[in-house]
Amino acid sequence: MTTRWKIALVAVIVLGVAAFVTRKTVTAAPQAAAPAKTAEAPSMPSGTVSIPDTTLAINSSTPMSQRIVHYEIDAKYNAAKHTIDANEVLTYHNLTGQALDHFPFHLYQNAFQPNATWVREAKRDGSRDTEYDHWDPKEYGSEEITSVEVVGQGDLTKNLQYISPDDGNKDDRTVVDLKLAKPIAPNAFVQFKIAFHEQMPETQARSGWKRDFLLGGQWFPKVGVFWHGAWNCHQYHATTEFFADFGVYDVKLTVPQNEVIGASGIEVSDVNNPDGTKTVTYHGDDIHDFAWTVSPRYKIKEATYQSQMGPIKLRFMMQPAHWDQVDRHEKITRDTLDRFEKWYGPYPYKTLTVVDPEPDSASEGMEYPTFITGGTSWFMPQGLGFPEVVVEHEFGHQYWYGMVATNEFEDAWMDEGINSYTEVKVLDSILGKNTSMINWARMTLGEREEQQFGYASVADRDAMAQNAFDYYNSNSYGGITYGKTASVLLTLEGIIGEDTMAKAMHTYFMKYRFTHPTKEDFLKTIEEVSGKDVRWYFNQAVYGSPVLDYEVSQAESYPLNWYEEKKDKKEPKKGDKDDTVYQTYVALRRKTDFVMPVDVEIKFDNGEKIREHWDGQSRWTRFSYQKKAKVISAEIDPDHTIQLDRNDFNNSRVVEPNPKPTYKLSTYWLFVTQWVSQAMAWWAV
Amino acid sequence: MNSNKGLLSSGLSMVMRNKRYIFWFWLLNLTLAEFGTAAFRRSAHAILDHSFLSDKLMHSFDIGVIVGLLQRPEFGQMDSMTMPALYFGFLFFLFTAIFLPGVFAGYASTYRLPREDFFRACGRNLWRFIRIMIIAGIVMGIFAGILFNLNGVIVKKATESTNEVLPFELRMIGFTVIFLIMTTLRIWFDLAEADTVLNDQRAVRKSIAAAFKHTFRDLARLLTPYVASTLVAVFFLLGGISIWMNLVRPDSIIGAFVIAQITLFLLLIPRFWQRGIAVSYWQQRMLVPVVAAQAAETTPVAAPPAPVVPTPDPVPVTSGSPSPSEETH
Repeated sequence: MTTRWKIALVAVIVLGVAAFVTRKTVTAAPQAAAPAKTAEAPSMPSGTVSIPDTTLAINSSTPMSQRIVHYEIDAKYNAAKHTIDANEVLTYHNLTGQALDHFPFHLYQNAFQPNATWVREAKRDGSRDTEYDHWDPKEYGSEEITSVEVVGQGDLTKNLQYISPDDGNKDDRTVVDLKLAKPIAPNAFVQFKIAFHEQMPETQARSGWKRDFLLGGQWFPKVGVFWHGAWNCHQYHATTEFFADFGVYDVKLTVPQNEVIGASGIEVSDVNNPDGTKTVTYHGDDIHDFAWTVSPRYKIKEATYQSQMGPIKLRFMMQPAHWDQVDRHEKITRDTLDRFEKWYGPYPYKTLTVVDPEPDSASEGMEYPTFITGGTSWFMPQGLGFPEVVVEHEFGHQYWYGMVATNEFEDAWMDEGINSYTEVKVLDSILGKNTSMINWARMTLGEREEQQFGYASVADRDAMAQNAFDYYNSNSYGGITYGKTASVLLTLEGIIGEDTMAKAMHTYFMKYRFTHPTKEDFLKTIEEVSGKDVRWYFNQAVYGSPVLDYEVSQAESYPLNWYEEKKDKKEPKKGDKDDTVYQTYVALRRKTDFVMPVDVEIKFDNGEKIREHWDGQSRWTRFSYQKKAKVISAEIDPDHTIQLDRNDFNNSRVVEPNPKPTYKLSTYWLFVTQWVSQAMAWWAV
Repeated sequence: MNSNKGLLSSGLSMVMRNKRYIFWFWLLNLTLAEFGTAAFRRSAHAILDHSFLSDKLMHSFDIGVIVGLLQRPEFGQMDSMTMPALYFGFLFFLFTAIFLPGVFAGYASTYRLPREDFFRACGRNLWRFIRIMIIAGIVMGIFAGILFNLNGVIVKKATESTNEVLPFELRMIGFTVIFLIMTTLRIWFDLAEADTVLNDQRAVRKSIAAAFKHTFRDLARLLTPYVASTLVAVFFLLGGISIWMNLVRPDSIIGAFVIAQITLFLLLIPRFWQRGIAVSYWQQRMLVPVVAAQAAETTPVAAPPAPVVPTPDPVPVTSGSPSPSEETH
């Protein structure tokens, strides 16, 4: 090869590399639907710090989110004391468009202290895990920043101040505010070096230890989100979950060597230390939280799922007593991934870890990016779909919390509720409409029924669109956030069409993944995709708390010549043509305040069916007919699309009573009553 | 072993000889339960009879519909359904206590006990039974309280183990031990009840004391047939439910009712069988035999005494046994 050719070859290589680097820099800017301000290329103030544009943990050659944070954490776990000592380096990219002179941080583990807001609310309203009848010191948790240095500004530990923006509780230490010596200019980077010590509680709100198990969730000082022109950093409440910015996580976890460990992101290295510990390093891209778990007794199954964007490594961390259910966990994970990718959009991460947590640990059913916890027990017949429901639900959060990162403090329904809606859709598709939860010993229960009766008992308590910590109590939070939202969206299918709704959901996901959409973003997407004005529905269903309950209050027929003497009338014989003309009335009532147009189907004994439409504006309406046939039934919502109706029993009226269902139920109840009284007599006399 | 078989078979033969008692108790059980479930039926009829939704109940046991039904304000509070059932359940227990003396009397009788004798036994022993029931309630309540609490403490301790199944296993073992102890106590008071009726014992403390002595003297002999008859009850229950679930069509009301009632009828047998065992044991071991007058020992007329030679004054010689007239004194 001549020198000229060598020079030309080198020039081509240099140009090629330059072009590649340029492309990387450009594509590092956020992709879909990023806020307008992201159009400005971030200016690196000194070139010393930046957010990495790695793509190690995703099946994409370019970053998928607008990366604002980079957490580098080096943590040591003391399994005997359940403590964590760690150093955290947080690099923050100020893309707010304004100078920032203070930064609030979540210290979630401080919630588990007797006077903290979380415990006060849990004691007042009850919580999933404990009633706090008495204080158990094992339930104590704490998260203490021992020092904080801001690079270029020195040690600012003395500037830390606990704040309680939601309720003014001076004893709540779940949010700490750091006042800087100098503001951080727009587009600049700032780096915090934080040392912290943490006492994990016996599992509370899915986080903590149980026996020799630990779930490290919400375990490190985490910066708030600058959103809509202000810091959004709420206290930790008994009913709230989380909100954070996307970024990159590099986490080193040092744990005893006998521990089996799993975490968000991909495992980068695993090194044994001479002191009997090991250090496992994880890396996560385009995620907004990081969780991990250890237990010496996990049994592991690994598998690969070929997603639309590339292979996903599935990792199942099972309790030994549940090992026979690992295939069930894998099947529901694969089926769920399949439905989500087909219906909503691709799953871009390279890993998904499904953790079967320690029994009785209050760690069941939780979501973190690329990491979910299921929930089962050693006795779980095939027809009881609880493990499937939990795994599906938590996986759904990868989309509606993990990627479409809504503010769960303020709009919990946008995560839990939308996820409950997709849970119904996915589980109906996989396990059957009426059998997705229970199909065992002749008992059946479908997911949509479960959502409906979850909501029905608290239907008038609260609106969906309100802060998660402002609900009447935890029951209301659960029933409205999960059950009502699912029911509202299922009912919406009936208004705009099931296919249109599916399209709207797909559009919403693709448009708002890796961003923080608001409720209006969601509602407007539906209106745009459907091309319909459904504001009347959203105003009642989402923003208000009126209850929907329609009733067929009357369905009856009588002969027009009823006043004639009976002796003059001929009783028609079987097979005779009945020429009697009947007057029929069907009355519908709107029993509550929710106004919704409805259809009603009226059936006559000559086989004729009539469908009527009622706009529901008045409190009641009545249809009347004169026919040579008697009404046999009337049914509101004959296509069964109004999931939001609180009482489905009164949606239909059959003229001739059918006592069989009551007899059947009574037979069961009679059996139980007799058996209990026999048992009483067996032992007592 | 033979003696156990004896108790089992003799107890069962008493039950079989008096099948009518089972029938009447079943009828009483059914009638009271009908009253107890009337409120439930009335509320369910009002909501379900005219609704299409209730069709879902006919093809399976749709939990969603049941929960929806229970949530309806017009259905009423669940308490208003369960409390009548419990009250009528309590009435069945009370009627059992009232009529049980007649059952004991009937079992002990070698002939078909006339109705008036049956009810005479019931009336005569009513307060005695109430006293026994109170004492039994206190003793069994104390034991049950202690044992269940102990079991609870052990199981709670076991939850600290990393073996997830251990608490369940310990709970089951605990239940087995509790069952055996409570059955032992039940045997004790069954024997006391049998003794009170069959011995016409006014002082029930004597019956309780005698029953206590016999229970623990012959525990293995009594416990084995009691456990065996309980296992028969478990078999009837599981068999009945299994047939109900597998052979009866979901929409067959009559089929479900018949299977349910046959199961409940059969479930009454083992407990009456246990009472038969108690009566049989009482007859074999606790029955104080009536002391028959001992027959006078006859002594052959003494032969004329041989002349003692040489005795100048002959002395009359008598036999060593007392004379009949002396024995009766």
